[in-house]
Amino acid sequence: MTKAFVIDLDYCNGCYSCQYACKDEHVGNEWAPFALPQPNTGQFWMRVDEKEHGAIPRVRVQYTPTLCNHCEDAPCMKAYPEAVYRRDDGLVIVDPAKAKNERGLVDSCPYGAIFYNEELDVAQKCTGCAHLVDEGKLPHCVDICGQNAIRFGDVEDLADDIAKAEVLNPEFGTKPQVYYLNLPHLFINGEVWDPIEDEIIEGAQITLTMPDGTTRTETTDDFGEFWFKKIKPGIYSLKIEAEGFKAKEVDQIDLKESLNLGDFPMDRA
Amino acid sequence: MADKKTVFKTTGFCGPCSASEPVEIDVEDGKMIRVRPFSYVEHQSNDGLNAWTIKAHGKEFKAAEKSGISPYAVLTKNRVYSPNRILYPMKRVDWDPQGERNPQNRGVSKYKRISWDEATTIIADELIRIRDTYGMNSVFIQSDGHHQVKTIHGPRGCEGMLCDILGGYTLQARNPDSWEGWYWGAKHMWGQDPVGQGDNNNLFKDVANNSDTLLHWGCDVCTTPFGWGGQFPSRYCHFLRDAGVQQIFICPDFNYGAAAHADKWIPVLPNTDSALQLAIAYVWFTEGTYDEEYISTHTLGFDWFYYHVMGGDDGIEKTPEWASEICGVPVRTIKALARHWAKHNVSIAHGNGGSYIRSTYSHEPARLEIALLAMQALGHPGRNQLKMMEYQLFSLNSQMPAPRSEVIPQLGALLIPYAADSRESLVPETLVPEALAGDYDHDHPLTWYGTTVAGIPTEDQFKEYKYPARDFNRIHMVWIDSPKWTSSWNCGNKYIDAIRSDIIETVIAQHIWMEDDCLLADLILPVNTKYEEEDINCDIMSGNYNVMFIEDQAIDPLGESKSDFECALEVAKKLGDSVVEAYTGGLDYMDKMKLGWATCGVGDRMEFEEFYEKKNYIVPTATDWEDDVAGFYNFYMNPEDYPLSTPSGLLEFYSPRLHEEFPDDEERKPYPCWIEKGVTHPDERLNLPRGKEYPFLLVSNHPHFRMHSQFDDCAWMREVKMCKVVGPDGYAYEPVWINSQDAATMGIESGDIVKVFNERGWTMGGAIVTDRIISRAVSQDHGARIDPIVPGVSDRGGTNNLIAPKKIISKNCAGEVTSGYLVGIEKVDVFELAKEYPEAFSRPYDSETGPLHIKRMIEEQ
Repeated sequence: MTKAFVIDLDYCNGCYSCQYACKDEHVGNEWAPFALPQPNTGQFWMRVDEKEHGAIPRVRVQYTPTLCNHCEDAPCMKAYPEAVYRRDDGLVIVDPAKAKNERGLVDSCPYGAIFYNEELDVAQKCTGCAHLVDEGKLPHCVDICGQNAIRFGDVEDLADDIAKAEVLNPEFGTKPQVYYLNLPHLFINGEVWDPIEDEIIEGAQITLTMPDGTTRTETTDDFGEFWFKKIKPGIYSLKIEAEGFKAKEVDQIDLKESLNLGDFPMDRA
Repeated sequence: MADKKTVFKTTGFCGPCSASEPVEIDVEDGKMIRVRPFSYVEHQSNDGLNAWTIKAHGKEFKAAEKSGISPYAVLTKNRVYSPNRILYPMKRVDWDPQGERNPQNRGVSKYKRISWDEATTIIADELIRIRDTYGMNSVFIQSDGHHQVKTIHGPRGCEGMLCDILGGYTLQARNPDSWEGWYWGAKHMWGQDPVGQGDNNNLFKDVANNSDTLLHWGCDVCTTPFGWGGQFPSRYCHFLRDAGVQQIFICPDFNYGAAAHADKWIPVLPNTDSALQLAIAYVWFTEGTYDEEYISTHTLGFDWFYYHVMGGDDGIEKTPEWASEICGVPVRTIKALARHWAKHNVSIAHGNGGSYIRSTYSHEPARLEIALLAMQALGHPGRNQLKMMEYQLFSLNSQMPAPRSEVIPQLGALLIPYAADSRESLVPETLVPEALAGDYDHDHPLTWYGTTVAGIPTEDQFKEYKYPARDFNRIHMVWIDSPKWTSSWNCGNKYIDAIRSDIIETVIAQHIWMEDDCLLADLILPVNTKYEEEDINCDIMSGNYNVMFIEDQAIDPLGESKSDFECALEVAKKLGDSVVEAYTGGLDYMDKMKLGWATCGVGDRMEFEEFYEKKNYIVPTATDWEDDVAGFYNFYMNPEDYPLSTPSGLLEFYSPRLHEEFPDDEERKPYPCWIEKGVTHPDERLNLPRGKEYPFLLVSNHPHFRMHSQFDDCAWMREVKMCKVVGPDGYAYEPVWINSQDAATMGIESGDIVKVFNERGWTMGGAIVTDRIISRAVSQDHGARIDPIVPGVSDRGGTNNLIAPKKIISKNCAGEVTSGYLVGIEKVDVFELAKEYPEAFSRPYDSETGPLHIKRMIEEQ
């Protein structure tokens, strides 16, 4: 039965325990025939990527646990068929005996998930804790996660999650078996207020014109704020309308990173 | 065939009888292989678990099937096998108890290895000499709070117990460091001993079902609680999100809790929350949006508060415009917050520490919070104060927001005299430097109010204490376990100066790692970790279930290390059989574990032999927990039959008792108010003259990538980008968050190395330029290991406690001010500094674990 990981960012609190758990399991421990020991530092078979979005006070932090994607069409396996194999359960293993001196394996992975152990002269990566899976146990990072943000199991059991999930860099076309729920992508936000009364404006209608010309609307909340979430890079425009005030428009918003447009003091109509 | 076993250990950090975060450690051939969560389901007894479920708005929050352990637990091996472990006794090379003691060289001169026999002989001889010369109360027993949670094996008081057998000692009182403002302020308004935080019974169910909004005010639910309850509080916050409860974070920094759980962030300048709170009250007063009927039936002296808000006493109307200038929150946002609050059921969450509750006059934000909760009918469903950690603190159900356990087990029968005890001769933790080296005697004593001991009833705050205590001499010898004063308390530089005084003839430290105050000792005893000992423990703070454990020995003690209990025992052996007998009580470890089980509260449920075999007993959830009254609900419904523990039984906006006891106290008046400055802190605000010289307020939170001052040397954590900032010299500096606009003004970029300074000295940091901190504040977590450049003056480690204000909270409140104080920031050239301080900048250093003080300080043999 093919296994998969599902990582739900809505439940990740960025504690890094999964990253540490990988080290707990693999540093100083050899798990033949799947892995030689991981060096104490410098390799991240499980790595939490941390990214700050927005600007004060409308900031968010994205934590993305990343690991080997155990791709169905694994480029590493194609490049080094002798050294890399895919188990029946889908876990992709870099054979520690056959990956000796195979420094090129590192570059074969478009995700940067393969590392080179200088001391042992071997290419290494996440094994999905195959040695534990074979005992009916969970990969250590999954077991350690105290928020159930990282899930592991049979693809069929995870089908509901997988149906809603995305993969990282789908353009690589490698058919990853690590799926992500609730990737935040980017946002545009701001605040609308009345400078004469020094009051926020609740219920202002904000219309966002998407890169494809379609529109989304939000209304400001009781703090005068609006958020358009889970949007992608592109050129946007925004219109702010509030009863009793002149409308404001912001054109040519070239969204590359999440954007706090700031606060909009509105002029009386 | 490999020798395999699995042992259970608790990995939390609260204190005796308050363990948390149990783990299962797989051990093979004497080596720790991995750390795993403890499975409640797998290990439940025949009594079952009675697994609880909180239901709210169609969502469910269930007791976890396994423990939610903190990142620190996962890093256990890093810490146990740290290169900084002290593996044998050591003596400072130029400290000769028979001759020159060279106290001025503490922190500078090196150590040499000595035998346990020599070390314990010296300590025993010194104890007898001090006793015969000055009396035993000239021995000062310091036990700092940053240690592993052990029961039989200490620390916290083993050496004190030995001293008591010899005639006594002076105690470093266990200050209410986590709860300062609540302890010194809130208690006078709503009672709530032991620590002044609100009644939490069954509040998880209440908040999830009845609150529309939860304000996380000045706290970080994904940092501070990690060591006192692990992942459980954060899991609850995820449930609140799913149940539709909005979570608003009001704090200077977009902290790690906000990063995980904030729907909204309202940045506020450090220690200006009082102004924001008063402006909220102003809006409610002017718009008539508070519960006047509740105020008339549940409170005392409300008119004093109204008078202050309206400017009757000081001529300042506490308008949003007034507050905005002080706190940095826009006027419109203050009004929006006030109105949102008035329209919804709002509870407030806390997790201790930070500028909100550990700064100057911290009794004011604490009291003002209660004032606001009272104005919106505290105790009404969905309107309470919720704690996100320290569940069942002091073994009380009133400190338990999660479903109630059948029993809160405890091991009081086994505890050696605990450092949180009180006695006639004591010194508050906040006044230790003064006591050690200040110019005090019986005619001119150091004075303060209250024992300052956490958990002591409110009335204690009205009693004056003196040092030296009557009939006792001053301190001449210090014996410290878990030594962390420099990196944890108020102005460590003053401690360094004091401990190097020639008044202090002997300094004994016992610790696991060579760090912090160990560097200042004359003689050091090697302590082992809890993983190297067998012990009994009770986990009550994990939230899911209470569990009694036999904590098996996982590995053999490293080097010649012994437990804290055994350290003092070895000294006792040099003092005679009667001392040993008195110290051990004639009990061996097995006797103690049997006694602990027999008296823990669930000992009748299983024979000891079975418990010892199973190694754990999980206490089921009480069957009737759902019927428990939530928080202050009874008081809300019927204040006459369910009074508070204040003298009037009401919420005392005006405290007649404070007025009677401290009629002239202008810094803590009988009613809560805005205190900009006073005799104790005349100039710790941005708008005051010192604010021009030191133009930033320092947020010094509980560290996210550390546990107080523990774990600073964990290689796996130090390689996280946000954990340290590696300078151009290769040294990993403690991060300083600088607002992006402020950084641009100063020409500072991420990765630059800066000085953090004021007139009390300077430390260093690595800049992280970010929008996660409000302008005019900077954030550097507390507790980085000291790396003194010039001891008492400068530091490379980022240990900002070294330059915290020495002064206490306010005139009559001997708590700490360790966050929300003024500092300057200045970009530095580390290579220039290295030329100026060549020794300090060329010390032994490991790129993975940082400074290797143990290598630096040991004389090559």
